[in-house]
Amino acid sequence: MRKKGYLWTSKSRLAYLFILPATVFLLIFMIYPTANVIIMSFYETDKMRRMLNFIGFRNYVELLKEKEFLEIIFRSVYWTFIAVAAKTIFGMIMALLLNIEYTGRKIARTLLIIPWASSVPISALLWLWVYNPEFGLLTSTLKSTGLWRNPPIWLGDIKWAFIATIWVDIWIGIPFMALVFLAGMQSIPNELYEAADIDGANLWQRFFYVTFPGIRNVFLIATLLSCLWTFNDFNVIYILTKGGPVGLTHILITYTYENTFAWLKWNYGAVMAVVTLVILSLVSLIYGRIYFREEGE
Amino acid sequence: MRRENILKIIVISFTFIFLLLLLFPFFVMISTMLRPSREVYTSPPYWIPKHPTLSNFIGVWNQVPLVTYFTNSLIIAGGTMVLNTLLSVPAAYAISRFRFPGKQILLYMLIVLQMFSPIVVVISLFKIMFWFHLLNTYTGLIFSNTAFTLSFTIWMLNGYFKSVPVDIEEAALIDGCTHLQAIQKIVLPIAAPGLVTTMIYSFIFAWNEFMFALTFIQSAKKMPITIGLYSFVGQYTTQWEYLATASFLAIIPIVVLFLLIEKQLVAGLVGGAVKG
Repeated sequence: MRKKGYLWTSKSRLAYLFILPATVFLLIFMIYPTANVIIMSFYETDKMRRMLNFIGFRNYVELLKEKEFLEIIFRSVYWTFIAVAAKTIFGMIMALLLNIEYTGRKIARTLLIIPWASSVPISALLWLWVYNPEFGLLTSTLKSTGLWRNPPIWLGDIKWAFIATIWVDIWIGIPFMALVFLAGMQSIPNELYEAADIDGANLWQRFFYVTFPGIRNVFLIATLLSCLWTFNDFNVIYILTKGGPVGLTHILITYTYENTFAWLKWNYGAVMAVVTLVILSLVSLIYGRIYFREEGE
Repeated sequence: MRRENILKIIVISFTFIFLLLLLFPFFVMISTMLRPSREVYTSPPYWIPKHPTLSNFIGVWNQVPLVTYFTNSLIIAGGTMVLNTLLSVPAAYAISRFRFPGKQILLYMLIVLQMFSPIVVVISLFKIMFWFHLLNTYTGLIFSNTAFTLSFTIWMLNGYFKSVPVDIEEAALIDGCTHLQAIQKIVLPIAAPGLVTTMIYSFIFAWNEFMFALTFIQSAKKMPITIGLYSFVGQYTTQWEYLATASFLAIIPIVVLFLLIEKQLVAGLVGGAVKG
């Protein structure tokens, strides 16, 4: 017993030595900035990001009084909801299609990954060109095929800017969903489908009684992760519209950035960062619980 | 049999249509980069170039400082990869091999940090970078990128290390190996595919990172490719044929790398749920 105790302490000392560099690094570059931004949200700041006076919750109260801020919170929620729902539906269809064996399926799977594999900022720049109202191939293709005689100016239109932007976010997110669902589907034992066939199940019944229950956990984790990423999608919006026209495509992330680095309202930026932090922490705790449950730890 | 064949034809044609829609911007990219500039700015534009040319692949190097951007991206992504590996390997080893007080807290911290949004830290990180004179430096970006890749890579590596049997290692330790030697000679070679995955992951992350680079880099000499191309578009008249060409060059290596690790990445993200 004694000897074991000795080994135990020496081993844990070694363990601390091993985790020390990473932990210190995370403390300096993740934990400290987070703590700092929380503190900053309770201060009055100047344009040079100095913290002047402690003013308690006044920043929060003032922001909550702003109509635009509330609109943006609301928009972030439905941005996330619509985009994740669309990614889920398209991803599911794609996965179901790829779950059937045929020659060339591997190529199709590889091609499907490309939007996810490609660099997001560069894809967003390409979409900027695709959406170009004068020389862009989207508008002209719609016109020349007769699908849509009079397409809008995608990113400049008050109604269409949001749709055009969210589509790019959806587009990037589909491959991940499809791949994860597909991986889940392929782990479903074939006997279950055979049994369903014997019972005379039709396609819908096969999906709802065999496929979906089989991928339920994967489904939960994938949609949760997708919610986090979608809520956090800074790149697409910033590159395509910078939140415009007239702020109609801003979500919390881009609005925070704009407040901080364009308008130098550091205190407001800090408050919004804290709001983001709270929302994301809640979601990630749920993710952690499901993840641990699956790992069986 | 016949019913199955019909089903297959339907499946293949739907897949084909979906893929056409999904790859649309890349078709536009290819069509644009093969057109001489006078064919780019015609209204209405057309898909197939009348005089297809590869001249943009020569012209782009003069129009866009691509060599600088690529070098910067390589330094930043390579640096992130190295630093990230140096920090994550020992940490993941400790987590996978030792029990120690505080381990559970550490695990939870790692999972929460994985989900962090850059926006939460970018504000104060800007202050830190300013104090340490790290604005407009590679180091600043390497540090902030590593902060974001670290928790996920520790997490993934932990999984790989756990799959390496402890017996061989214990035998080596009894024979007088130190822990570091055991990691070097036994654990890392066996977990090599996992290690490569995390290395590629951190490289790709840093290559594609946008917000930190946008915030911390102002000098054109230090810009990675993402910000470089973004600022190229920001100018009054964008030459899209060059943007398409540069995008093509920037995407190819990253897509290839991504395809190499895609399966492990998905497994790492969804954890045990997919093993079934």
